[in-house]
Amino acid sequence: MKFRAKLYTSTGSIVVLISICVIILMNMLEQSMVNTDVVVTDKYERINMASTIKYETVNIARELREISVSQSNETLESSIYALEESNININRAIESLERIDSKGKTDGLVAKYKVLHESYLAVAQQVIAIKKIDSKAAIQPQLLNDSKLTGERMLQLAELLRGLQEQEMKNELYRSRDTYHWAVSTIYFYLAICLCLGLGFMIWIIRGMTKNLNHVTTVMKSVTNSSPDDLPRIEIFSKDEIGAIAAAFNKMVSELEAHSKLEKQLIEEAGERSWLKSKIAEILAMYPKAKDVQMLAELFISKLVPMVGACNGVFYIKTVEENEQYLKKIAAYAFFNQNKEFQCFRMGEGLIGQCALEKQPIFLNQVPDNYIKIRSGMGEASPKNIIIFPIQNEDDVLAVIEIASFESFSPSQIKLLEEVIPTTGITLKSILNHMKAERLLQESQSLTEELQAQSEELQLQQEELRTTNEQLEEQYAASVLKKEELEKVREQLEEKAQQLEVSSQYKSEFLANMSHELRTPLNSLLILAQILSENGEGNLTEKQKEYVRTIYSSGNDLLHLINDVLDLAKVESGKLEVIHRIVDLHGVKDYIMKQFSPIAYKKGIQFIVQVEPDVPPSFYTDEQRLQQILKNLLSNAFKFTESGSVSLIIRKVMKETDRQVIFVNNHIECMLAFSVIDTGIGIPREEQETIFDAFKQADGTTSRKYGGTGLGLSICREIAYLLGGFIKLTSEAGEGSNFTLYLPYDQVIKPKEVTTYIKEASAGLENEHYSTEFTNKMDDEDRRIKQLGKSSLKNKKVLIVDDDIRNVYALTIALEKYEMEILVADNGREGIEILQSNPDIDIILMDIMMPEMDGFEAIRTIRSIPEFISLPIIALTAKAMKHSREECLDAGATDYISKPLNLDQLFSLMHVWLYRKEG
Amino acid sequence: MIENIEIDMLLEAIYRFYGYDFRNYTRPFIQRRIVQRVKKENLTSISALQEKILRDPIVMSKLFSDFSINVTEMFRDPSFFKFFRTNLIPVVRDYSEIRIWHVGCSTGEEVYSMAILLQEEGLFEKTKIYATDINKSVLEKAKKGTFSLADMQQYTKNYLLAGGTRAFSEYYKVVADQVVFPPALKKNVVFAEHNLVTDSSFHEFDIIICRNVLIYFNKCLQNDVHQLLYESLSLSGFLGLGKREGIRFTSYGTCYEEFNSTERLYRKFK
Repeated sequence: MKFRAKLYTSTGSIVVLISICVIILMNMLEQSMVNTDVVVTDKYERINMASTIKYETVNIARELREISVSQSNETLESSIYALEESNININRAIESLERIDSKGKTDGLVAKYKVLHESYLAVAQQVIAIKKIDSKAAIQPQLLNDSKLTGERMLQLAELLRGLQEQEMKNELYRSRDTYHWAVSTIYFYLAICLCLGLGFMIWIIRGMTKNLNHVTTVMKSVTNSSPDDLPRIEIFSKDEIGAIAAAFNKMVSELEAHSKLEKQLIEEAGERSWLKSKIAEILAMYPKAKDVQMLAELFISKLVPMVGACNGVFYIKTVEENEQYLKKIAAYAFFNQNKEFQCFRMGEGLIGQCALEKQPIFLNQVPDNYIKIRSGMGEASPKNIIIFPIQNEDDVLAVIEIASFESFSPSQIKLLEEVIPTTGITLKSILNHMKAERLLQESQSLTEELQAQSEELQLQQEELRTTNEQLEEQYAASVLKKEELEKVREQLEEKAQQLEVSSQYKSEFLANMSHELRTPLNSLLILAQILSENGEGNLTEKQKEYVRTIYSSGNDLLHLINDVLDLAKVESGKLEVIHRIVDLHGVKDYIMKQFSPIAYKKGIQFIVQVEPDVPPSFYTDEQRLQQILKNLLSNAFKFTESGSVSLIIRKVMKETDRQVIFVNNHIECMLAFSVIDTGIGIPREEQETIFDAFKQADGTTSRKYGGTGLGLSICREIAYLLGGFIKLTSEAGEGSNFTLYLPYDQVIKPKEVTTYIKEASAGLENEHYSTEFTNKMDDEDRRIKQLGKSSLKNKKVLIVDDDIRNVYALTIALEKYEMEILVADNGREGIEILQSNPDIDIILMDIMMPEMDGFEAIRTIRSIPEFISLPIIALTAKAMKHSREECLDAGATDYISKPLNLDQLFSLMHVWLYRKEG
Repeated sequence: MIENIEIDMLLEAIYRFYGYDFRNYTRPFIQRRIVQRVKKENLTSISALQEKILRDPIVMSKLFSDFSINVTEMFRDPSFFKFFRTNLIPVVRDYSEIRIWHVGCSTGEEVYSMAILLQEEGLFEKTKIYATDINKSVLEKAKKGTFSLADMQQYTKNYLLAGGTRAFSEYYKVVADQVVFPPALKKNVVFAEHNLVTDSSFHEFDIIICRNVLIYFNKCLQNDVHQLLYESLSLSGFLGLGKREGIRFTSYGTCYEEFNSTERLYRKFK
């Protein structure tokens, strides 16, 4: 039976049962209602009739009494009417009662009542008739008693009738109550049956359904635990819906099984693919690590061989040697054969060569046992399968690999090889290319470096050559110069002779006087004084002898003085000679004392000569020159000191201890210092540098007040310099001054060399690097010019373009010392005009800020003339103007120097730019 | 062939006897210099030179001078100095101390140039320049700070091209045919003898200038020297090479990033 039918029957039967129950109930209710109706309508009607009879009976009696007693017609009439009405009612009630109730008992009673009623009525008629005749007639009491008796009997009968009816109704009621009780019990009975039947059905159906469903769910649950390949089936017991579900489930399970089988297959395939891919990726990832072919081969073979489950592998790379292609073993995996034969194959030689030639892989299966051996520490065995694979790039075999395995190669392994090897080909090619490029780059780099080295070498050689050349040129130039000089000297001599004769008459006379006229008499004077002092005849007093000696020594001084004047000339021309010998310092001291004590005494000044104890007794220098300097310094001191003291202090100065003293020569460790200290007028700070210049004195008025030529200090300084020392001055105006002569002690005197100048110059640079004051340097310059004899500035033509006349003047003075030819222009335009008329100008000093045509424009204009493209033009820029410098260079200036000018810097600069212009 | 052997032997002999290792200098260069020396000494073979060299230190010193090429200029390759001034100086400006190693300073022109540049940039006071060379005599020259007047025109041009901010003439003084630079410029400069081949690192530097030194060395020695330079350079320190030199193919090429490829300035980053 189907599940649906079951449900239908069960629920249907319940409905039917309930319906039956209800119908029965309805029936019973109907029955009881009919019964009640009967009771109510019929019985009630009878009781009603009986009551009506009873009532009307009473009414007749009362009316009859009324009639009998009535006095008037009116009352008689109404009572008769009422009597008749009641009679009618009684008759009607009796009739209907007879009609309804036909039972014996009732009928008997009704009949009796009827008889009585008629007799009563006859009495009544008599009464009425009497009364009608005479209303005031009295009625016989007999008659009245009769009627009364009849009336009482009638009432009894009516009462009986009513009681009978009521009894009947009660009976009816009892009957209907019984019927009701029966109906209730019947209903209970039916209900019980219906319930039993319904429950029975329900249990039967539910049990049948749950049993099947449970079976299905158990099977379904067991699906999760069973393997997807073998799923449980549901046994089909019934043909109902559960059966259909089971069938559907079974179908689904079979589908699932089929599906899982497919899936498994797919997963396997995917796994294989992903293995392939991961292996390929692994190999691909390895490529970038490979820096060269060797590395690539090693990485590749060591990676690939285990990947394909093999245990032996060799990598051969194609190389070209002597126009023949070889396959050379460069990497191997667990390869053992050391035989040289297996290191290298020609194309087509062996299987390796063949493979490279054919460009096709070669598979060897079931190779013989002694083909190759794979060894480990424990043993050895022969692999059974060998693959030889060419590695190609664009149809060009680059390498060949050989792989051996115990197992036969699976299709996926072979597939891996097929997939991987082309990528290796590409990588190999790219690495080969890269290596080639790298090699070329490296070669080019080393070539560049080699080139640079060579060029430096060449530069050096060029430099050497140039130096040699220059030396040669110099030598040549020197010889030419010598020749020329000789020639010149000769000419000059001739000329000088003529000049001396003609124009220098005065000078020659002066010199002659100096040398001859002064010295000759002086000499005779000296000789005579000497003779006198010897006092040959003994006629001179001691005092006279002293006078003579003074004459002699003063004369001697005078002679020295004359010599000094000559010396100055020599110093100036650099011809002064110094003669070094051992000098006794005590001698010097005595000499000084002797010379100056009288002066001190005369002027009333204290004179102190002090020699420090550590001063050596003697040292090596030119005594005469030393005396000359000291005399000069002391006489100056005395000259300018009116009161107080003059002292000479001789001491030793060590390099380490006395830092203030700048040692000219670094290798000199100690010096002797001769300090002449006075308390005189002193020298103002700003003039301390100038007083050493020739013909200068501290104050223009000095010469007038104190006399003197102003030569002394400059001679002193020059001499000190020649002695390898120098003079230092410290002084305060009004406080006195201290001139200190430093002389090297225990020193081997060397002629002044260029190096000394360099040192001096560098020291000078350090101290006065940015000083703009230049006057003090002039002396240095002069000396340098003289000492070096040669200057690249000499006879050079310089054009100064500047509108500031003071500048031009200062420059002219300075440059004239270098014997330069100077041309001056007031502004740019004039400068260009002068340049054009003097194209042999060597260098231009160009001020920038000028009226009419400024420096930039002038430089640009000059540069636009092809002739002057490389002419050195030095721009004189204002220091404040930051940008003008770049503008100068843009305009075409060769270099620049900022104003106010540092002449040293300017000369250096001009030296640089005039270098090599000579000759 | 014979010449090669002779050169090998000569260099070995020099190394063994004098301690100078020229064995890893580039062969063509060494060969040219030796052949030249053979000619100058009026000899017939390198072997003859070898004998002379072992017996006569003067010849050795001559050959030594031949081997040390002292080609230099003030502000050589002005663009290098210009770049140094504009791009490198800002990086090191805030260092508390700047240590510079001038490898192969030769006669010192570039050292003075660097000093001038640093002075103009106001960094000279906190800078220490170690200028080294293998050749003692060029170091002596360098210490003097006097250069030939003949080159000054070129130097002035270089100075201007290198972005000098003052007048170049402020720095020198001409004495005869020499130009003197003020001693103030070598105040923070230490000149010292140092042999790249045999001596080791002696300090850590912020900047190493090694221009046109390695071109005389072969690859192997170049790598060794690069190791020395690498070890002497602080992290994010700078290495300046010569115009024609490169760092890419050397052993430490990957440790530097290019600061400027044309000026061959590299910066160590690991």
